[in-house]
Amino acid sequence: MISPETQAPHWEWYYIAMYFYIGGIAAGAYFIGSLLELLNRENLRSISKTAYYIAFPLICITPILLIADLGRPFRFWHLFFYTKDAAPYMNHTSPLSVGTWALLVFGGMSFLSFVNVLAEDGRLTSPGLKKFHVLFSRIPHKIYAAIGSFFGFFVAGYTGVLLNTTARPLWEATDPLVGSLFVASAASTGAAAIVLFMLNRKAGTSETFGRLEAFDRVAMIIEIALIAVMLVVAGKYAAPLLTGFYGVLFLGGTVLVGILIPLWLNWKGFKPGAAGGSMATLVAVLVLFGGLMLRISLVQAGQM
Amino acid sequence: MAKGMFVDTSICTGCKACQVACKEWNGLPGEPSHFHKVPNRPYPVAFNFTGNSYDNTGQLSATDWRHVRFIEQFNENRTEGRWFFSSDSCKHCTDAGCLNACPVKAIVRTDMGNVFVQQDVCIGCKYCIPSCPYGVINFSEKTGTVHKCTLCNDRIHNGLGTACAKACPTGSISFGEVSELKKKADARLSQLKGLGFTKANIYGYDEAGGLNVFYLFMDNPTVYGQPLNPIVPQRRLFKSAAITVVTAIAVAVAALISFRERGMKKETEK
Ligand code: SF4
Repeated sequence: MISPETQAPHWEWYYIAMYFYIGGIAAGAYFIGSLLELLNRENLRSISKTAYYIAFPLICITPILLIADLGRPFRFWHLFFYTKDAAPYMNHTSPLSVGTWALLVFGGMSFLSFVNVLAEDGRLTSPGLKKFHVLFSRIPHKIYAAIGSFFGFFVAGYTGVLLNTTARPLWEATDPLVGSLFVASAASTGAAAIVLFMLNRKAGTSETFGRLEAFDRVAMIIEIALIAVMLVVAGKYAAPLLTGFYGVLFLGGTVLVGILIPLWLNWKGFKPGAAGGSMATLVAVLVLFGGLMLRISLVQAGQM
Repeated sequence: MAKGMFVDTSICTGCKACQVACKEWNGLPGEPSHFHKVPNRPYPVAFNFTGNSYDNTGQLSATDWRHVRFIEQFNENRTEGRWFFSSDSCKHCTDAGCLNACPVKAIVRTDMGNVFVQQDVCIGCKYCIPSCPYGVINFSEKTGTVHKCTLCNDRIHNGLGTACAKACPTGSISFGEVSELKKKADARLSQLKGLGFTKANIYGYDEAGGLNVFYLFMDNPTVYGQPLNPIVPQRRLFKSAAITVVTAIAVAVAALISFRERGMKKETEK
């Protein structure tokens, strides 16, 4: 039975939901980039590069958000080290604990990939970083691309598992689907962020956009299917997500503006050109908006 | 040798001595004053009364580690009815959701089986709060950490019982060895059943791996605000993680298909 009397953690949306969102974009983008690297798709190299350029700066923002929400921010390092045993610490039954370690590994891998693309583009100016690049380049790039994309998926998904592994009615009732939903959303917002960045820098060809568009379409279809199943599974406990303010954010922001409309535009197809470019921008912006609304509505409605 | 408490709600009188004793022993501050002045009224006005019988806190919190519930069951014209009281606190679950969720080992179990928050370790991530199926543990803005009943950790490690049990004038709360308390509870239950209280039941033998603080209720536990068979959140963790991995694989396959090499056709960048 779902407990009638549980308490909400009062996580602030601008810290926790925002972290779920930004971490998701970084992880989704990194995954796409590293997959192409692993597949040796040299002709899609511009996608990989863009992905790596996006992932690391975004993931740098996330610890700030996480630490800011702590009651005792200066103790954040307790997450990695338990002083009373004088040993590193991880609680394997706590998604929060395991996820923090995964975030650390993912941050490291995305840093290596970031330095790599800087070197590739001849933008590595600091001699220290140059030396570092030569040093770690002895490890094949594919190895940490593979590790990074695995932990990227982890970072994208554990946040949903974290919500499901509580006794709050909405989060318990939507178990075990929020992790999946966040993974799908991370993939789709990651692809959208890459598109936006490439359009901005006028990089990319019709093929690259076509590929990203095709991938985003599948990700959005998975997402909308998961949302449908989740609402059925949650039944009456989904009420906070379907009514009131968070109902507007979720149904209007995520489902309609963030998935259905982009899916429809995406389906009609567009060619990135003079007019198509603005269309592609619109779709990418809508997808990114929908992803944010998804995190805010699920995190905040569960605390009502 | 787990220590715990047995709360026999059939003899609770709702005097709140336990609430007071808890606050005194643990040095917990009172709630903001229940009365304040409003313009144009000569007398102070009550503003944070719960309006629910004699309930004065409404729930457990970082400063209310004990909460006496008042359950009024009266008919329309109040000619007949029952009035239940039940003193609630942390149950010191054997499989504790809060402890399982803690990422920094701030929440630990001591050698006496009680679940204890180490104030010098807690970082205030607040993840334990939604992880407790009983809504017990809560956050204090003042300390930036979470607080809850410690089962009087300091007292019991020095040979005393809990402050609430000591103060209870009717013996509704008793402290002791869990196995001993269970014997007492079973005896009282069969006595009550013999007297015709067929709905009487014991809550906490199986819930969350067994509660070290358990209850004798005169009606269904939900009447007392306690969930029937709550699931310890972490017992659902594996399934949740597995489904997420399956979705991740599906997304990866989608990516492989979207980005696969298309025959011989090769487009060069730019
Ligand atoms: S009742 Fe809640 S706070 Fe107490 S041990 Fe169980 S899970 Fe933890």
